[in-house]
Amino acid sequence: MSQEILLGDEAVARGAIDAGLSAAYAYPGTPSTEIFEAIHALTKQHQLPIRGFWSTNEKVALEEAIGVSYCGKRALVSMKHVGLNVAADPFMNVAVSGAWGGLVLAVADDPSMHSSQNEQDSRYFADFAQVLCLEPADQQEAYELTQEAFEVSERLRVPVVLRLVTRLAHSRAMVALGERRAQNALRYVDDAGLYTLIPSNARRAYAGLLEKQPALQRYSEEHRLNALTIRGDGKPGLIVSGIAWTYLREALGARLEDYNVLRVSVYPLPVGKVRALLDRSSELMVVEEGYPFIERFVSALGLFREKPVKGKLTGHLPRMGELNPDVLREAFGLPVKASLTVPGLEEVLRPRPPRLCDACPHGDSYELINEVRRELDASMRVMGDIGCYALGYSKPYQAIHSCLCMGSSIGMAIGAAHAGVSPSLCVIGDGTFTHTGMNALLDAVIENTNIKVFILDNSIVAMTGGQPTTMSDAHLENLVLGLGVKKAHLRTLTPVPQRHAENLAVVREELAYQGLSVIIARRACVRYVKEIKEHKRERGASAPLEGDCANCAGGC
Amino acid sequence: MNFDLVLCGVGGQGVLSTAYVIDHAAVDAGLHFKQPEIHGMSQRGGAVSAQVRLGSAPIASDLISAGEARAVLSVEPLESLRYLSLLSKDGWVFTDVTPLKNMADYPDTAKLYEVLFSLPRVVAVNATRLAARAGASKAQNMVVLGAAASLLPFAVELLEKHLRALFQVKGEHVVKANLKAFQMGLSARAFKAALVERGVPAAVAARVVARLDFDPAPVPEAVVNAWVARLTRADGEALSKRLLASGDALPLDAQVPAALASSP
Repeated sequence: MSQEILLGDEAVARGAIDAGLSAAYAYPGTPSTEIFEAIHALTKQHQLPIRGFWSTNEKVALEEAIGVSYCGKRALVSMKHVGLNVAADPFMNVAVSGAWGGLVLAVADDPSMHSSQNEQDSRYFADFAQVLCLEPADQQEAYELTQEAFEVSERLRVPVVLRLVTRLAHSRAMVALGERRAQNALRYVDDAGLYTLIPSNARRAYAGLLEKQPALQRYSEEHRLNALTIRGDGKPGLIVSGIAWTYLREALGARLEDYNVLRVSVYPLPVGKVRALLDRSSELMVVEEGYPFIERFVSALGLFREKPVKGKLTGHLPRMGELNPDVLREAFGLPVKASLTVPGLEEVLRPRPPRLCDACPHGDSYELINEVRRELDASMRVMGDIGCYALGYSKPYQAIHSCLCMGSSIGMAIGAAHAGVSPSLCVIGDGTFTHTGMNALLDAVIENTNIKVFILDNSIVAMTGGQPTTMSDAHLENLVLGLGVKKAHLRTLTPVPQRHAENLAVVREELAYQGLSVIIARRACVRYVKEIKEHKRERGASAPLEGDCANCAGGC
Repeated sequence: MNFDLVLCGVGGQGVLSTAYVIDHAAVDAGLHFKQPEIHGMSQRGGAVSAQVRLGSAPIASDLISAGEARAVLSVEPLESLRYLSLLSKDGWVFTDVTPLKNMADYPDTAKLYEVLFSLPRVVAVNATRLAARAGASKAQNMVVLGAAASLLPFAVELLEKHLRALFQVKGEHVVKANLKAFQMGLSARAFKAALVERGVPAAVAARVVARLDFDPAPVPEAVVNAWVARLTRADGEALSKRLLASGDALPLDAQVPAALASSP
């Protein structure tokens, strides 16, 4: 037994490795990024026989993990909450087929949207797929439940969702570590039909998933972390889940003794215990981080009138944003401690939002785009995408006018073109382009839609801390040409102030052309110079790509 | 025993390094801890923060409650004021006084200092300058940590030990520069405490500390005495204000420049 200081994310990584992990896949996304980063670092440091990489996107990452599972070995896939939307197709179907080797999806939700576009709650996805969801409250449980997730996934043959939230993913504490289990041997599934979801098999497989439900329910009902504590008949009852348990203990302290408490860490909900809590309590308050998931079930959307059920639907807790001990104190009518006050504070205090770094190449690209917008139509809207360059929405650039989800800018630009915008501009990064942007480019190729796609190629996934990008440099050009973009209308420029005039001429030319243009604005991220070199070196060593030497812009 | 801290600054200023040193020192001292931090978009030049919760018993919540923090350690003066709702009524603020103006509407520095130096318990140092003098321009976080060190619930030596551990991969010269920076912070805090103990009003002492060039060693007794004499005179407060407003750094044992020595 040893102990180490770990982030919640790192505790998941250690749990997976100690559970006999054979492979891990991920796409970076705050607050989940450090899970794969830790696995990658430990694998390298200790020469562990664990395969995997940063995948092209979450769907691919999950499919890779499913491939491992179908061969009897244990695989982890990690992503942020919205990543599970991208991976929803394989996820819903692997629930039906079932897992073979332990298959765990570590999904990190971001209540309060610290670094996200929504605060969707992944427990709904697990419920939708009718699989298990484990929700640790602290770093130690993150380690232990990850290990357990693999064991139960293999035993009950279902994928398991491990739900994290930002404050656990990105908080450090001491974690006691256990023994490392050996990896599984390669072992094909016994009944391949269950993994071949043609309709006749799928019906059989789905029936199998339904047959598993009582076992999942039993597992939840009996789980040590779905703990029911009855302190007396007629006392008020509490249902509390995940990290909210830590806030509740902090906020109520000894007052917790006045309540009957059901702690939930495993889903499907332990309905037997919920029923017992209801029967023996005067009323119920549901305290959960995220959407009112448990509350909706238990209160039957507020239709349940037997006893009062309070929570986020009833306004007793805020519907939006993350919880903390003070939010709970207020909800329970307890005083919040006074803090130091100082006159004049309001006058000087103002927000400091994130911004593009000094000398960031995106800034130069936005200068170009803004200049042609002023020339053509100052009110012209530009579809943006997800990455550092989303900061182009803010002052001083104010150059993009949408940011929806990964890879959406090209599709939205096509839609804008169809709505009558001509030319229709969009901006996407190299990482986001290969994540889910390039499919839309194929549509534009087929129609030769009059859209102008700016790919801001900075050679790295910067927003999440410098992970490798799939295609940059000459590879990216080859990819774009391979998708069918005309060579004459694939332009590459270097966004630096000294070349502003010549770059402007290129952009003007392409704007004058009625059809699809791709303009690659290529300059390496100024913040991750070292990482870019390192990634190139690593990839060059493992799999040199066609074009590595012939058209390479240099650098090796 | 519970001891909560807020660490803050701007993305890229080394807030997480400070957290690393405190976490490891706390564990070494046998304390329990939890330490949430901000990753992601804010790290692009936005406001970033971490919290450290220390306790003799296991800690439940990762997050600090309002009014519970014993101190704010900030690497930037505007940021030092952002988390005051978490600071207890008798809490301390330790901060660099060097503004990082990467925003269009940064407040007027004089007004900002007026609020900062009206705090009852503040140690504000020119950590950016001191760090450069120590030989590591990015070590302002360690100057601030040094300033706060004697308040933390474990021995100062533990912080030095884990500061070494953190920087050793970067080479001995980086370790030494960061240790120097840390000791300059220690010296600043001790100097301020000595002034206050000898009757210099806290706000007067705080303003002067913000302008002095500390060495990585305790301030000599004679120098302390000279400053006590200057600052306990009738025009001590006015002098401290002029020194702060001048923006110039002052060697510890220097005579106050004539231009500042008396009211214009």
